[in-house]
Amino acid sequence: MALFDSTPRVFLAATALRLVLLLYGGWQDANSAVKYTDIDYMVFTDASRFVARGQSPYARDTYRYTPLLAWMLVPTAWGVSGPLASAAFAFGKILFALADVLAGWLVVQLLCRNYHFSTERALRYVAAAWLWNPMVANISTRGSSEGLLGVLVAALLWATLTRRPVTAGIILGLAVHFKIYPFIYGSSILWWWDAQRDGAPAPKDSTLISRVLGFITPSRVVLTVSALVTFTALNAIMYFQYGMPFLHHTFFHHLTRIDHRHNFSPYSTLLYLASAGGANYRFETLAFLPQLVLAVVAIPLVLAKKSLATAMLAQTFAFVTFNKVCTSQYFLWYLILLPFYLPSSSLIRKPALGISAALLWVLGQALWLSQGYNLEFLGLSAFVPGLFLASLFFFGVNVWILGIIIRDGGESEDGKTEFKPV
Amino acid sequence: MKRRVTYVQRPETPFEPQQAILSSSALSVHGLDAAREDRITFGLEDLPEELRVVLEQSHELRLRWATERSYDAIAPFTSRVSPGLHVHYTPLAADQSSEGLCSLLRSVFGTENGQAAVDCTRPEDSFITPPLLSTRFAASASLQYYTHLPSLQSLVGFIRRTACHQHQVGGTECHERADSLLTADTVDVDYDSISHTLSISGVWTSPPDGGWTEVIPKPASKADQVEFGLLGAEQGIEPEEIKMGGLLAVVGEDKKMKPTMFSFPSRHHPLPSDATYTVSFTQPTGLHPIMSITMQRPSLQRPPAPEDATCALHTYLTLPSSVFGDQYQLGTTDPLFLQSHNLAALRAHAGEMDLEAPDWAVQRWGSTWLFELASPVAQMDDADGASNWTATIPLHLRYLPPSETGHKTAHVPWPVVFWACTAEDGTKMGVNPFDRTNLGWDGLFGPRTMFYQLHPKTGRLVEEIDVPVLKLQAGQGLFQAQNIELGTSLVILLGFLWVLWRLVRVALFRSGQGQRHGHEKKE
Repeated sequence: MALFDSTPRVFLAATALRLVLLLYGGWQDANSAVKYTDIDYMVFTDASRFVARGQSPYARDTYRYTPLLAWMLVPTAWGVSGPLASAAFAFGKILFALADVLAGWLVVQLLCRNYHFSTERALRYVAAAWLWNPMVANISTRGSSEGLLGVLVAALLWATLTRRPVTAGIILGLAVHFKIYPFIYGSSILWWWDAQRDGAPAPKDSTLISRVLGFITPSRVVLTVSALVTFTALNAIMYFQYGMPFLHHTFFHHLTRIDHRHNFSPYSTLLYLASAGGANYRFETLAFLPQLVLAVVAIPLVLAKKSLATAMLAQTFAFVTFNKVCTSQYFLWYLILLPFYLPSSSLIRKPALGISAALLWVLGQALWLSQGYNLEFLGLSAFVPGLFLASLFFFGVNVWILGIIIRDGGESEDGKTEFKPV
Repeated sequence: MKRRVTYVQRPETPFEPQQAILSSSALSVHGLDAAREDRITFGLEDLPEELRVVLEQSHELRLRWATERSYDAIAPFTSRVSPGLHVHYTPLAADQSSEGLCSLLRSVFGTENGQAAVDCTRPEDSFITPPLLSTRFAASASLQYYTHLPSLQSLVGFIRRTACHQHQVGGTECHERADSLLTADTVDVDYDSISHTLSISGVWTSPPDGGWTEVIPKPASKADQVEFGLLGAEQGIEPEEIKMGGLLAVVGEDKKMKPTMFSFPSRHHPLPSDATYTVSFTQPTGLHPIMSITMQRPSLQRPPAPEDATCALHTYLTLPSSVFGDQYQLGTTDPLFLQSHNLAALRAHAGEMDLEAPDWAVQRWGSTWLFELASPVAQMDDADGASNWTATIPLHLRYLPPSETGHKTAHVPWPVVFWACTAEDGTKMGVNPFDRTNLGWDGLFGPRTMFYQLHPKTGRLVEEIDVPVLKLQAGQGLFQAQNIELGTSLVILLGFLWVLWRLVRVALFRSGQGQRHGHEKKE
């Protein structure tokens, strides 16, 4: 297709899409009581205003992010007047949108150089999944910071596949500091990065001791140390700057939150029940087990060496599917990894399978959303059976798709192409 | 003990001299059409032990209760609070922690539908801290509590058990006077550590069928005093004044009633009876109910305050914890949002502001909100100026505990709506013998502010919101807690095992199958 044979054209279109949405958003905000800008963006910019005044970003209720985010958005608090005022307000959105485009560019580079895609093929998949995906452009231009995670994950994959352990470690430490969940990628990257990736010959003897010793390679050590140093240093800086509120809001909050409200997670009804004191068995206290066993241990062990990107996709998918809380922004987490997986996936090879998966996924969402509408707007008691069964069905669909991704990842030969250091 | 009984008649109400007759031992009233206030003031030593202990630890304790039936307020009893029980409290020592007040309130106000009417453990945990205009001249108490209390039955029982029992003041008369509180429109209880006295006043804005008929006896002891007044009220010469005239007597001392005429500056002033408003929620309420306050056209005219005063229309919401506002959404300065809701600004808010917590994780009783409302100044002369004016306030519901029916009811009292007129300088309001402060909202304004309260239109002054909750069947049903727990766990376990099985297959059969598919792919 002629559309996809020019890199500048695809990226210009992606940028133009975001620019149009930014301008439209500014117009809607100025002319309607219903705002285009995400409520979270108001939280970020409020926090930036506190930071600009030398106060703590946690002075703003529900600011549960790293202070880095509030610092990055300080230009929104400069109080520029005149025609530049709306541009200053949109500074963060522009940043998020640029991060989107940069993430797309990194993925295209990786596909071309490490996966030996033709530029056109790489562009087509990245445009479809990410760059031209209206959901992605919408989320970042409304001012949600999830787009920043996209660029961090893409950069992490890029630094890994191009054998830059220090950089990869720094990005990993930063990403985990930013939004905890990327820690799951640590285990797959470490497992993947064996001595052969750095050009060593395959080991001849495979006694237990030599295997254990062989596991400790310079790259793995460097990566681990640089990730830990980055993560610890960032947290130490933030802690010394903002004290306990930083630790509480960025980390502990996620351990103590009740998550009783309806959301896509299969646990949501149970958590509502348990939090209100109506549960007897307290199974929900074990919810982290299946999630972490799959996302941190089993999937990396089985898939990482076959295809790192597919393993990371499966990890993200498992983490989101088995999480105690799930909202639509979480779906963005795995979109950035789709271009690595989709081209060789059975979802594309077998259109019937792919279309069924897509339809079932959409059906799961539609069922849940209709029940959510009944509850939220009509005031019907839709928790049981409506939301309960809808979230379990959606979970089932996701588990089935995860199974497909794992099977495809097992058949993947990407591992060999990734071998080639660039 | 001092008692003051005041009847206030409307100017147009007929009055015959034989309707109020003073003798040497009593004053008798017959078939009187009037509003009535009965105020009794006790010294600390006259009070039951359990009450005295708590009061001795209080700097200030003020209870304001209003019925949920609509009633016509007449001057000088025009101030209103939202229906229910409001408690304003300042402990004697700021750091003192006491469970005494809460256990007293629990025993005085008893239970309602099996639940304690006053759900409080300690003031510092259950009460909210209203914003202070100035900490130096604190005009209002430091802690505030509210509960939806439709009836004073328990309070009456408490008075019968304690006060009537202790003093044995003419058995039935004490009981009858306690019972009369059941028909009162408002009841105030005031204590402060400066006067060391507790006063209870009830106001009945309209007479029972056939008018008021009662005998007010002279006090049993020399130390006590009973005052009687039969008055009418009208607008004074100055806009901030109320003028009252009529007959006064000290029962048992005066030989005959003395005619009197006096005027005083007043905080609270009446508005015409057609200055009304109604409150409703847009249906269906869902989880995000929108409160609509609809004001009739006469409500929107500037009240007759002094020329130099600045007047603005306000509403003060008292929301139980199950219903809450988002301070960031409502506190916005975005003119588009404010215009679309006919709001001018959020002026003050206090209490439980958490945007995420379910009701069972919330300690305090709820929150209060003072809004300045937009008023249609420009459109008043237009053709559509005749239509009503509606302000809307978007609110949210907290999750409530599961129930058998899948629904629970949240009781939201109607907010009070009033004009507040602030003058730069003015006279002190405290000399008013019927002065009423500590209403929650009055402390949010300067001491020289005058209030003109809109009248809630007839009906019940409490809205019920149907809150959808998790439906849990206790007995045999399909949706028991146990089934939700086991069902969720089973589905997640199956999902987990399925994914593990896929992984095991990949791990076990990788070599052979991987090769084969690898070839297929290249074709």
